[in-house]
Amino acid sequence: MGRACLWQVDFMILLKNISKIYPPNIAAVRDVHLHIRPGEFVSIVGQSGTGKSTLAKMLYAEERPTKGKIEVGGWDITHIKNSDVPLLRRQIGVVFQDFKLLPRKTVFENVSFALEVSGATNKRIKEVVPQVLKIVNLHEKGHRYPGQLSGGEQQRVSVARALVHRPKILVADEPTGNLDTFNTQEIMELLKKINEFGTTVVLVTHNREVVNALRKRVITLSDGEIVSDVEEGRYKL
Amino acid sequence: MTTVFRAVKFALQNFIRNLWLSLITVSMMMFTLLTINMVVMLNLVADNAISYVENKVEVSVYFKEGVSEERVATAASYLRSLAQVQDVRTVTPEQALERFKERHKRDEKILASLDEVGKNPFGPTLVVKAKDPSGFPFILESLDHPQFKNDIREKDFDNFEALIGQIRNTVSQVRLFGIGLSVIFLFLALLVVVNTVRMGIFIHREEIGVMRLVGASSTFIRAPFLIEAVLYTVLAVALTAAITLPIISVLDPKLAVLFEGTPGGLIGVFQKEGWKLLLGEAVILSLVSMAATAFAMRRYLKI
Repeated sequence: MGRACLWQVDFMILLKNISKIYPPNIAAVRDVHLHIRPGEFVSIVGQSGTGKSTLAKMLYAEERPTKGKIEVGGWDITHIKNSDVPLLRRQIGVVFQDFKLLPRKTVFENVSFALEVSGATNKRIKEVVPQVLKIVNLHEKGHRYPGQLSGGEQQRVSVARALVHRPKILVADEPTGNLDTFNTQEIMELLKKINEFGTTVVLVTHNREVVNALRKRVITLSDGEIVSDVEEGRYKL
Repeated sequence: MTTVFRAVKFALQNFIRNLWLSLITVSMMMFTLLTINMVVMLNLVADNAISYVENKVEVSVYFKEGVSEERVATAASYLRSLAQVQDVRTVTPEQALERFKERHKRDEKILASLDEVGKNPFGPTLVVKAKDPSGFPFILESLDHPQFKNDIREKDFDNFEALIGQIRNTVSQVRLFGIGLSVIFLFLALLVVVNTVRMGIFIHREEIGVMRLVGASSTFIRAPFLIEAVLYTVLAVALTAAITLPIISVLDPKLAVLFEGTPGGLIGVFQKEGWKLLLGEAVILSLVSMAATAFAMRRYLKI
């Protein structure tokens, strides 16, 4: 299936027997087979080094699988060309544990940067950025610099930046790893809200409380393999 | 258009954030261009100096005392009919004497022997200028024609070939040195460009990482670095022009004698041709520095 019919599919994400082996012979992910439907909220859990982040990275083509096949929105990205990666990344929002904000840019500039470098017009930037800042409840702090915000607020900026392209998928790789309980809760509420708007959310975490409170689908990885996949699951390890 | 504008904006930001390295890069390029301009100017001055000397080359044909003006005029018109001859001037015995005294004014012995003779020993003289110095042997030979041979007392050929050869030799050595220096400066400039781009990539690694993450194309990520290379070149060319023009203004009166007949002298030549030189330098240096930037990005920019 080509890029043209993207998103009109039964499975938003389809992984068929995916393995990722690093030289000399270290398997980060082994024979993973899973599918995620449009609008789902899926938590991928497991201890450190079990391949959660590697799996997430393969979704936005930061890593390529050694074996198997990956489809995102019906688009086979297993052997995606480098020139097509930017197109994929404009359709998948990504949020990281360390926020990856630019300290010398304001909140507004950090969010608009994603649109600027993708060639959006100034008119569209002025239209979209305030909207997403409102979604993350930072519309009154657009002029502040990341250093002037709390950890939770910085992560909300990062979420806002991930949302500017109106992605169908949001991959959050340990988004609460650097946050206290209060800010963690705030971010999880935000992710749930985004999911309710119809965005498929893939949450990579090893935070037991977060996963248990969500009561959504939980996929558990151990040694690079899926050991459980439960609808309305709990953190088991 | 928006994308181009933004790439230029990012290039300017790179330039300013990396100001010292940017200035060093521009300086190195400027030294390269100044050296190249020095070689070009040297060529121009040398060509004019050689033409100037070549113009001074002439043959004086001294006729014996008592040779009639008619026979001298016949010889003059014969010489004018030769394709190699540019101009023939007739000098009277009185003018010839003055000319001789002027040429040997530092040689007291010759002047004393002239006094001993007591009268004007010169007959009429023809001063022959050739279109090209290589034509002189033919002109000299043609005067050995029996019709004129007995009337001619002496043929005096001021040979400047040794001087011209010396000028050519010196200029070619200086030119070689200049070209060598230009190549060294160009090499250093390119090394500095590569290093500046490497530093730029290092300084902007966070931004580049975010760009990749949010879907910037690799062309967009690379473009500011290439634009920056062009920016360095444009600044270097502008500075070179700003330095070269005053130097030419200072040299112009000193070299005026070599540029007689050239409208505006040395300044005139540069006003007419200088922009072509600078434009050519800008285009070539832009391409070379963009190639160096592309090399640096290939090596250090992982996207």
